[in-house]
Amino acid sequence: MKLWSALFLLSSVVSGVLSASSTPDKFTKYQSLSRSGLVELDSASYEDLTSTPRDYYAVIILTATDPRFGCLLCRDFESEWDLIARSWTKGTKPDDLKVVFGTLDFDNGKAIFQKLMLQTAPVLLVFPPTVGPFAKVEGNPLRFDFTGPISADQVYSWIGRHLPEGPKPQLVRPINYMRIVSAITILMAVVTAIAVLSPYILPIIQNRNLWAAISLIAILLFTSGQMFNHIRKVPYVAGDGHGGISYFAGGFQNQFGMETQIVAAIYAVLSFATIALALKVPRMEDPKGQQLAVLIWATVLFTTYSFLLSVFKTKNGGYPFYLPPF
Amino acid sequence: MAPSSLDVVLKGSSGRNTRGLLRVIILCTIAAAAVSSRLFSVIRFESIIHEFDPWFNFRATKYLIENGFYSFWDWFDDRTWHPLGRVTGGTLYPGLMVTSGVIYHILRLLTIPVDIRNICVMLAPGFSGLTALAMYLLTSEMSDSPSAGLLAAAFMGITPGYISRSVAGSYDNEAIAIFLLVFTFYLWIKAVKNGSIMWGALTALFYGYMVSAWGGYVFITNLIPLHVFVLLCMGRYSTRVYISYTTWYALGTLGSMQIPFVGFLPIRNSDHMSALGVFGLIQLVAFAEFIRGYLPGKQFQKLLTSMVLLTFGLGFGGLVLLSISGVIAPWSGRFYSLWDTGYAKIHIPIIASVSEHQPTAWPAFFFDLNFLIWLFPAGVFMCFQKLKDEHVFVVIYSVLASYFAGVMVRLMLTLTPIVCVAAALALSCILDNFLVASTPSTETKAKATTDDKSLRSTRNPVVGIYSWFSKSVVVASVTLYLLLFVAHCTWVTSNAYSSPSVVLASKLPDGSQFIIDDYREAYYWLRQNTPDNAKIMSWWDYGYQIGGMADRPTLVDNNTWNNTHIATVGKAMSSREEVSYPILRQHDVDYVLVVFGGLLGYSGDDLNKFLWMVRIAEGIWPDEVKERDYFTARGEYRVDEEATPAMKNSLMYKMSYHNFQSLFPAGQAMDRVRNTKLPKESPQLNTLEEAFTSENWIVRLYKVKDLDNLGRDHSNAVAFDKGLKRKRATKHKGPRVLRTE
Repeated sequence: MKLWSALFLLSSVVSGVLSASSTPDKFTKYQSLSRSGLVELDSASYEDLTSTPRDYYAVIILTATDPRFGCLLCRDFESEWDLIARSWTKGTKPDDLKVVFGTLDFDNGKAIFQKLMLQTAPVLLVFPPTVGPFAKVEGNPLRFDFTGPISADQVYSWIGRHLPEGPKPQLVRPINYMRIVSAITILMAVVTAIAVLSPYILPIIQNRNLWAAISLIAILLFTSGQMFNHIRKVPYVAGDGHGGISYFAGGFQNQFGMETQIVAAIYAVLSFATIALALKVPRMEDPKGQQLAVLIWATVLFTTYSFLLSVFKTKNGGYPFYLPPF
Repeated sequence: MAPSSLDVVLKGSSGRNTRGLLRVIILCTIAAAAVSSRLFSVIRFESIIHEFDPWFNFRATKYLIENGFYSFWDWFDDRTWHPLGRVTGGTLYPGLMVTSGVIYHILRLLTIPVDIRNICVMLAPGFSGLTALAMYLLTSEMSDSPSAGLLAAAFMGITPGYISRSVAGSYDNEAIAIFLLVFTFYLWIKAVKNGSIMWGALTALFYGYMVSAWGGYVFITNLIPLHVFVLLCMGRYSTRVYISYTTWYALGTLGSMQIPFVGFLPIRNSDHMSALGVFGLIQLVAFAEFIRGYLPGKQFQKLLTSMVLLTFGLGFGGLVLLSISGVIAPWSGRFYSLWDTGYAKIHIPIIASVSEHQPTAWPAFFFDLNFLIWLFPAGVFMCFQKLKDEHVFVVIYSVLASYFAGVMVRLMLTLTPIVCVAAALALSCILDNFLVASTPSTETKAKATTDDKSLRSTRNPVVGIYSWFSKSVVVASVTLYLLLFVAHCTWVTSNAYSSPSVVLASKLPDGSQFIIDDYREAYYWLRQNTPDNAKIMSWWDYGYQIGGMADRPTLVDNNTWNNTHIATVGKAMSSREEVSYPILRQHDVDYVLVVFGGLLGYSGDDLNKFLWMVRIAEGIWPDEVKERDYFTARGEYRVDEEATPAMKNSLMYKMSYHNFQSLFPAGQAMDRVRNTKLPKESPQLNTLEEAFTSENWIVRLYKVKDLDNLGRDHSNAVAFDKGLKRKRATKHKGPRVLRTE
């Protein structure tokens, strides 16, 4: 019995010594595991990498790149993160400054996410070393929260601020030769196509109706608030709380995507009626037909404008004007 | 049929004179209507300068009047941006101040004593009358119809899109700039039509005036070259275009470089490079045209064309290279953010924070332009009918300006003129057809024109309208729309654009008007109760007003040229007292001003702008101020019991709610802007003391305490004064010691 306990004691001591002696090598181990400076982690290796006697910085991103989670930010940042890790590994840096870049995906590290009680992803953690020349007294990780789409430069400068003073490698964006070559090829192809097809294309380009249509569509889109949709990323439609759809957003400063399309259509109808009255009707030779056309277009104009006013009234409650039908 | 007395007046040369006289009378009436519809605020309140920027312009004008032009030119203002000061003379657009200075001196010469303030207040309405006239001239160039110009002038006179920036008291650059914009375009069209150096030089002259008046001159700088470029692409090169463009560019560029604030920008900044590029291109095209006359062979002509294209390509590449290598400054931030709409939010939060730089939702278009907004596309369509050089201009302007207006609310102002032009074209076309008394006879049938170039819808000849019924239906409905337009404009102007925003008005339950004059109350308190050089810290929105009304030095103001300084103020506002106090001491701040709307429900207060302060401060000190800290764990911006510690300890929060709870029965304190119940206890201020709170609590002033006489830090001193026993714990783990020098 005594022997057993002694053996057990011995083995635990040995394992303790072994694990202690292995700490300095943890850095080289993960360094060798990494592909282009980045280590793919799972729950176990995450625990191992961040366990306390460490003489290196561990910079770890907790992310969820699988399309199932619908984390757009995570997927957008993936390539940027690669870029940061690669720039660091390739660049020149102080010899004794050791940094490991790691990625923990939600699929491999559910336990860690639960342990850290993370509700959102991605989250960037920086674990300072606890031993060695750059050791910090507080071994708590620093946390970077992503509030919106962010570029590698911003994150890199944040990381850089939390590393010790000294020269650090620049963030190098690789030159995309493929893109340059393809751009040149496409440009040349376009020039050639224009040169060859010019007899066929020129009549189209010089077609006044086409340009009129393009300009009118552009104007209608812009004046019906498409740019607002584009910049603010408004929803297309929203429910009204009773299971139906509300087409018009409440309030003067809000709008839905569908709403702007309805408004653009209203403007288009009104403009077209105006054009018809101003240009087409006076050119009709048949008096009866002309009478009918005038009546139709005037009615269309009147009703649509009345509808537009009523729509505007719903947006701006205090608006006092209206036209009969609506 | 015997000639009636009416025929004498309406026909022949006297008829022309009668029509001319009528036209003058109508135009004068329109100008009078334009001026008088902008006087709501003067009648309701008083002759007062509005909003924020006008207060600076007003102050600068007074300086100009008092010290003369040359010292105005060299004005170094040490009462703003303390302790930096501002080279004001070299960093402003002097056109507005010089204009009102000249008017002032002319009136003095005529021995009409008018206070400079009244000139400043009335400048914008006066110029809007001129804008209506310029609009008449511009539109008359676009159309043969006699009514189009008058309609456009009337639209321009009363449309809310323009009134929004030109009511009495809105003494801002736009007040004269829109007149200059429209008039410059009129001169430009005239120059292109006539190909005369005189008109080109006049264009350059007014362009120079425009440059001296408003930063929006860049719009002209890019629109005119674009017009010329499109004309060239359409194969419409002519000596007319060459003469007018080269005259305008050479003289206009020289003229614009005379303004110190602009200086060498026209040759060093990307905003102006399109003008330079088109100037080069038109020389090449002119040279090619010149050579072509002497060269017989087709091959030579082909060679020539490719030479022109090649040179243009090389020049363009050179420009790109120069701007990449930094010889030419890149796009200025404001201009760039028009194209890359996400740019400002990430890189220049100070631009994104201004409410008039937000994108425009559709109701704003209808609000500002009413039925012009749907006449606008119709008018643009009609421009395609003839598509002369000037119509090309209308089309380009329309598309470009509607894009800009969609991206930024304030650029609605540049869209409005062209909307008036196009709408007048469309409406005059309808009225001209339907307001003719004679009925066409069915026999006369003109030949159909066989012009493929024209639009499909207008290939048949115009016949006319047969029945009286159709005429009356259309004319009646158009009259109805016009009346509705007038009613709409008056309603909008009266309700939305006539508030000076220095003085607020609200309605009491019994319908009587209640004037809220807190700003002026507080500024006059400052003027009368503080030493002449007491430094006031506030968020930058109120800098100009403090300078203008209270006449006290400020740390930051609406001329946001120094982002770091603004971020310093943002940091002081958003940090804990222990951090803020040294900042306040270092900047010699004597008083801190905050705007608080919680009592009255005034939503434009500082707590609602607070996140921008945080964001701007975070841009400079990302480690010390973090936007995330001001949101609760669930991402909400709260000010009640559950507000984050960073929020509760921030100077802004404390100053806003200091003693606010004492107004209510215990536990009932309510913030009417954010509609939340507040914590029971009022936040404790240690380093500041309340100096003044205005009647409705909108403006609150705090005095920065001097260092404690006994060398204690302020929290201990306050605790001692309250009679609290010093806790033992504070001995070991007391608050951070203040470092002040």
